[in-house]
Amino acid sequence: MNDLLKQPASLNHGRLIWSRPKHYAPFIHLPESSRNIYRVIFIAASLPLMAGIVIFGWRALMVTILSVAGCVITESAYYRITQTPAMHGRMHGAVTGLLLALTLPATVPWYVPITAAVFATIIGKALFGGMGHFLWQPALVGRLAVTVIFAPPLFNTNLVAPAKWSVLAQNRVILGDVCKAKQIEIYHQWQGTPPPTDCDAFKLPRPRKILRKLTLSTDQPPESITSVILKMPPAEDLILGTHGGGIGETSAVIIILAGLYLIHRSYIRSYLPGMFMLAAAITAAVAPVRTGDGLSWQWCPITAEGIEIGFIYVAYHLASGELLLAGWLLATEMTSRPITASAQAIFGILCGAAAMLMRLYLDFPIPAYAAVLLGNTFTPLLDAAVRPRALKRTPHEFYEKI
Amino acid sequence: MSLKLIRPRYGTFSGGIDLPDEKDATLESPITPIEHLSHLYVPLAPVHTTPAKPIVSIGQRVHQGEKIAQSSGDGQVDIFAPVAGRVSKFCQVILPVNTPASLCQNRDEYIIGWRVSPAIELVDLDEFEPFPSTSSTYDWLAADDISLCERIAEGGLITFNQRTVALANYISAARNAGVDTLIANVMENTPYITSDHRILTERGLEVIGGLSIIARAMKVSNVILAVDHRRTDSYRQAIAPSRLHGIRTIALANKYPIGSTAIIIRVLTRRRVRAEGEGLEVGVAVVDAATCLATYRWVVFGEVPAARVVTVSGPAVKNPANLLIPFGAEVGEVFASAGAEPDCVTIHGSVMTGNEIIKCTTPTGESIPAVVSASTNALLAMDQQSASDDVTPTPCIRCGWCSDSCPFRLNVAALNDDFELGRINSAKRRGCMYCIDCGICSYICPARLPLARRIKLLKLAIVEETARR
Repeated sequence: MNDLLKQPASLNHGRLIWSRPKHYAPFIHLPESSRNIYRVIFIAASLPLMAGIVIFGWRALMVTILSVAGCVITESAYYRITQTPAMHGRMHGAVTGLLLALTLPATVPWYVPITAAVFATIIGKALFGGMGHFLWQPALVGRLAVTVIFAPPLFNTNLVAPAKWSVLAQNRVILGDVCKAKQIEIYHQWQGTPPPTDCDAFKLPRPRKILRKLTLSTDQPPESITSVILKMPPAEDLILGTHGGGIGETSAVIIILAGLYLIHRSYIRSYLPGMFMLAAAITAAVAPVRTGDGLSWQWCPITAEGIEIGFIYVAYHLASGELLLAGWLLATEMTSRPITASAQAIFGILCGAAAMLMRLYLDFPIPAYAAVLLGNTFTPLLDAAVRPRALKRTPHEFYEKI
Repeated sequence: MSLKLIRPRYGTFSGGIDLPDEKDATLESPITPIEHLSHLYVPLAPVHTTPAKPIVSIGQRVHQGEKIAQSSGDGQVDIFAPVAGRVSKFCQVILPVNTPASLCQNRDEYIIGWRVSPAIELVDLDEFEPFPSTSSTYDWLAADDISLCERIAEGGLITFNQRTVALANYISAARNAGVDTLIANVMENTPYITSDHRILTERGLEVIGGLSIIARAMKVSNVILAVDHRRTDSYRQAIAPSRLHGIRTIALANKYPIGSTAIIIRVLTRRRVRAEGEGLEVGVAVVDAATCLATYRWVVFGEVPAARVVTVSGPAVKNPANLLIPFGAEVGEVFASAGAEPDCVTIHGSVMTGNEIIKCTTPTGESIPAVVSASTNALLAMDQQSASDDVTPTPCIRCGWCSDSCPFRLNVAALNDDFELGRINSAKRRGCMYCIDCGICSYICPARLPLARRIKLLKLAIVEETARR
């Protein structure tokens, strides 16, 4: 193959001298480039960031700036030191930094996003050979690294996955300091709840944590699904994103809007997030929950206490936590997902089901991100196994016919 | 009895894209004969086999339509003088090669995309007289198929598509293969090109006549004229008598590459052509409008094929037009007459599948010109920027658009990996030979990888690897 690539400047065939063609067919191009794709993804991912800035204040913007700058600077420095050509790496680095920031809580100290950015760029991307060659979504590699590093064995408190997460109160949005937070006892709804005295924010458990009490065996089991749902914040909180979580994880409506924009631009295919959400919903509807006495397991929670309660339970599972961000913006990263539509659908099912199973039965702070990383591991396998068939012929026919 | 039998519907195919149309410049401009040609290099091997033997001597004066070279068999056709003139010398010209990899005999020709053909140079040319209004000399309606075949063989007719063959050979191959469907492919859905559109608009009657002559010679009853659904208004009057000849006219959607032979056979007959195979193997013959017109002009009026309609267009051309150009006109002269800018990329054929016109010189420094031949449906000139866009290829980001748009559902991104790693067997297993060189993958690639070129080279490597075993 290499001798075909290395054509001389002029070809000498049949004792004639041919000038080498400068261009090959096709002579026109779609006005689209990789850099432009990443630019549009950056803009789409800025929508959840804006929601995050409103809900978590200026600290969210600081974390994002640190993360994006960390990714871009690490990328440039790496390519300068190793003296390899960086091809459009900086725009992709910025996208990686932005996606990474969306997964982090706004309360983290300054060194967390920078550490994550260095891990994402070096381990997640550069060591694999740069843009277009990596196996795992780099932003999630960085997120996984800081989740492991900034946790109790090394640090006194869990920096990136605290037990209680803080949210700015309604009259302190954008300009409030999310670190000035206190726990409050009586909480019904974000709208109208005043902040504690001398504070801008109040500390709350994540809605996901309340739901996980049904399946994780660390706590006393709740009486019924209904009792858990009554403890959950109202649906508006989950849809608008005014509950605890990462900067871009919380606002369901904004994440879906950003994903729909990318589908409209055909940068992601609707199969992947669709199948991701469908698989997660079916898993949540079927997977067993603990009964009130904590001794046995109740299958099919969607029908256990009536279909209405079951649907609310599944909808809460889908809207809370990092599932939406993982399904719409992180699993759809072009390089680390499979290529063909059918393989993407299988990838979505795999990631969605794994994300929901990990959330239900593993006490792990980032189940959906870990599921996406797991799915990415299988991407080369899916690409090899699910092949598009040329005119509906199976591959072995090629051997006979050609 | 389903509704399908009463009103069959012709579908589309998976993949494919909508290309920009860009035809406005020449869509309404009538066919005009080219003027002021100084030289003519008439190629002696329009079909890619043994060249015809010249039967004229240097200095001899020939008149229009006089036989100047005799076919030596082997699928070659007789060559006639397109324009009256004086034989100046015997020389060489370069012609494009579009043979598939499995039939390609010369590796270098496949890589370069051009071949050398001997030619006869004519000078002191008379004015070119297109379509002389002579009276009908042959009653084709009364002739039977054998005599029509003989009549076509006499005239040195060739097919005017990319894979030029002698029409008489094509018809006899079709008869031997038991072909039951004949498709006239007037889709023409690549940008800028309007030559077949103008032929059908202005000379629709003759195209219909030529199509039914070919159908009768092939003994085919199912004849389909496939046209672009956006242009039906222009053809409606011209092709109205097609019903008298039993020709069905079908308007198809203009999704590229529906004009490709394998795809149009699939869409119209639901038959699948083998990889790099011909439509004749599945019982379908495909011709184009220019072939039908030339057939009619020869069979009915005895006018030998001497010229073809060429769209001279593109962003770098000042006066785009549909020109009737005699075979052997030098492309440089054609571009100069159309006012092409000096520093532009000149293309023979369509922008999606054509070849860049390159310079070829003998070791003594004599340049070998590229000329207008039967497969020249367009001569296009692009700006340097729009042709290359000055973007170097970047790594594949696995967006998957190439696989989504490939009309044959090939995993192009994986084939690109196979090319970069030299995995020839893996590429073969992925169905690389099914590629029809439509060029969509390169067109759409956001990383600007030359995917179509790479797959073309990969096909050559597969053929060589198979032959070595």
